[in-house]
Amino acid sequence: MPKRVAIVGIGQTKHEESKGHCIYYESDFEAAKLALEDAALTRGDLDTVIASGWDAIDGRTISDMHTCMAIGGYLKDSSHVGEDGIMALAYAYLRIASGLFDIALVAGHGHREANIDAVTRVVFDPLFTRPAGRNYIITMAMQANAYMHKYGVSKEQAAKVVVKNRANGARNPYAHLNSPVTVEEVLASRPVAYPLKALDCPPESVGGVALILAAEDVVRRITDKPVWIRGIGWAIESYEMGSKDLAEIPSLTAAAQRAYKMAGIKRPLDEFDLAEIHEATSFHELMDYEALGFAEAGQGAKLIEEGATEMSGKLPVNPSGGSLCTNLFGASGLVRAAEAALQLRGDAHGRQVAGAKLALAHGLSAPAGAAAPTNCVAILERG
Amino acid sequence: MARRAAIVGVGLTKCSSHRRDVIYPELVHEAVSAALADANLEAKDIDAVVYGSMDPFDGVFAPERWNVDACVGAGASNKPFMKITTGGTTGGSVALGGYYHVTSGLFDVVLVVASQRVGETLEAQLVLNTAIDPIYERWMGGGAIMVGANQASSHFHYYGTTEEDLAMVAAKNYANALNNPYAHLQRHLTVEDALKMRMISWPLRLSDCCPSSDGACAIILACEERARKITKTPAWVRGAGQITDNYYIGDRPWFQDWEALSILGRHVYKQAKIGNPLEELDVAELYNAFTIQEIIECEALGFCEPGKGTELLRKGVTSMDGKLPVNPSGGTLCTNPIGATGLVRIAEAALQVMGKADKRQVANAKTALAHVWGAAIGFHVLMILDKEAL
Repeated sequence: MPKRVAIVGIGQTKHEESKGHCIYYESDFEAAKLALEDAALTRGDLDTVIASGWDAIDGRTISDMHTCMAIGGYLKDSSHVGEDGIMALAYAYLRIASGLFDIALVAGHGHREANIDAVTRVVFDPLFTRPAGRNYIITMAMQANAYMHKYGVSKEQAAKVVVKNRANGARNPYAHLNSPVTVEEVLASRPVAYPLKALDCPPESVGGVALILAAEDVVRRITDKPVWIRGIGWAIESYEMGSKDLAEIPSLTAAAQRAYKMAGIKRPLDEFDLAEIHEATSFHELMDYEALGFAEAGQGAKLIEEGATEMSGKLPVNPSGGSLCTNLFGASGLVRAAEAALQLRGDAHGRQVAGAKLALAHGLSAPAGAAAPTNCVAILERG
Repeated sequence: MARRAAIVGVGLTKCSSHRRDVIYPELVHEAVSAALADANLEAKDIDAVVYGSMDPFDGVFAPERWNVDACVGAGASNKPFMKITTGGTTGGSVALGGYYHVTSGLFDVVLVVASQRVGETLEAQLVLNTAIDPIYERWMGGGAIMVGANQASSHFHYYGTTEEDLAMVAAKNYANALNNPYAHLQRHLTVEDALKMRMISWPLRLSDCCPSSDGACAIILACEERARKITKTPAWVRGAGQITDNYYIGDRPWFQDWEALSILGRHVYKQAKIGNPLEELDVAELYNAFTIQEIIECEALGFCEPGKGTELLRKGVTSMDGKLPVNPSGGTLCTNPIGATGLVRIAEAALQVMGKADKRQVANAKTALAHVWGAAIGFHVLMILDKEAL
């Protein structure tokens, strides 16, 4: 039997446009320090640390030489996932579930040491697809376009996602973008790649996030407000965009099914009190609803039209404002998990969903955008 | 007590400076299909994949994405897949990742893959230099070779090691690599030849330094129940772990010893219930990117006292017919697809325990140690494999 694992410490920096002269691992350091303070632990209590992110985005090779040390890894067992921080959470979960480690710290950062558009272009085949100018956001636009046309989703419906998330973000003191917007403003914003307008796309934020995970035997020594990881699942997709129906996200469906099976979830829309999801764009939040089983295929927009995913709705989605307000490229998924955990502890202040007991956290690890994205779903429960 | 796990399949590719005969996914497929064939499994039997490579040495971003379909077959995507990168230790770190996938109880059969196409990089040392702190240490030209040369000159100074000792390490490894069809460098080298080689960074000559290679490696790890069904010769994981040292090269007080490796060694030996490594281990695959490192690793891992590594070498203890053969494969010194090199060490150790190492087989090898270092000698991974489960 895998050991039960709980989140016992949460730390995040204020996410913003720039952190001046700070280098990326200083954000990991700040978040790790906050998480240790939150759990009232010291570096000495950690058995293992897992860092995350991409060397090419950090602008140097073996960037975990620096991040692992910055999050307390000196003379400890450390590792690093070349993925969004949500996968560091998954890896630390495995390490603790095995019974070989008791306490783990996972961290991630978003920094702007590199040009994301340029770096993510180099993930594509140099002969066939790179000349077409594909990169992270272009592939996401291709997906949004396919989805829009397959199911007749409108730009206005997608814009309503932006309006909802930006309104939520305005209540989150950690969020990068804190101002509400209107549907008209979204539709009138600068075109990025059809059908995406600037406000349909997440910002590039700078900041750090860290979580501390502990094994069931030591959880109660640390906190009386643990957040249990009841289920977790992740999956990757084929790299060949031409071989897939771009209007679907099968890796997210597969990840959710694994996590739901572990946690015994049958009716996600009814059972969860909130969801923090990593929406790549406004259109993707609607697609995510479907892949996560909140709505039937093609019916995601109905939830936003009905207001079901607003703060006052049946299943508030992204009370934090989501990645449309805060987007650490390389740790946005881990921020979602941190926000979901804060909700379950009742520590989400102005953005709190009253009486939240069960939450879904979703992270997207997609250096190649819609080509071979990894989706990870964690199901968290108030202890 | 964690769930038991064993290596049940191994796949290696031929390595060379540039594998122009295959594109990247084909190279990966070569390793993965060899591992599946070795374990007599199909893609559908794999529950999850752990993948490692160091992107900047491939000259592309996120190469694991290119290779998803090569790993699990086009019909088998939507599986759990995790990318791990830790510099030179990447291959060791992915093996640990696979081990924890199985010991967690969430997965029964896990494919671990590592790959690198250093031939696609203009200059690997320039890439490595970007790892070093840009303000304090990068200007010195810090990278792998400089660190190896520091280790050698310190060892010379404190323990009286000589260039001839290094040449002996090179000659031994080159001779072993001749028995390894997957090795990159396959040529005769005498001690005299080695001493005439071009100086790279004193006291390291060309034959004291590993090549940079294109290559891939895959292993399959399984839980006890599945392992016993899959193969008659599983290589059981008896101990495993990683350690992280300070990243400022100038903050390390000494280079002649490898303190972090010693600490990790004591920890992993304890897990594996090994009291006297020289007596209890039958074979070791150590990450000898530079000849001097094989000597220091033998010392740090307790095969002998500090400073006595050269004695061990000169007495032939670490030769193929010695008491504890080190690097029957020819080691990293003869084959170095950077992000995959660590997994090659573990794969070679597994092959020895499984009795599948052909011409490089150490007779009756029961217990094997694999070691990996990376990140400007800041990271180490160890794994102990055994014919018997603990």
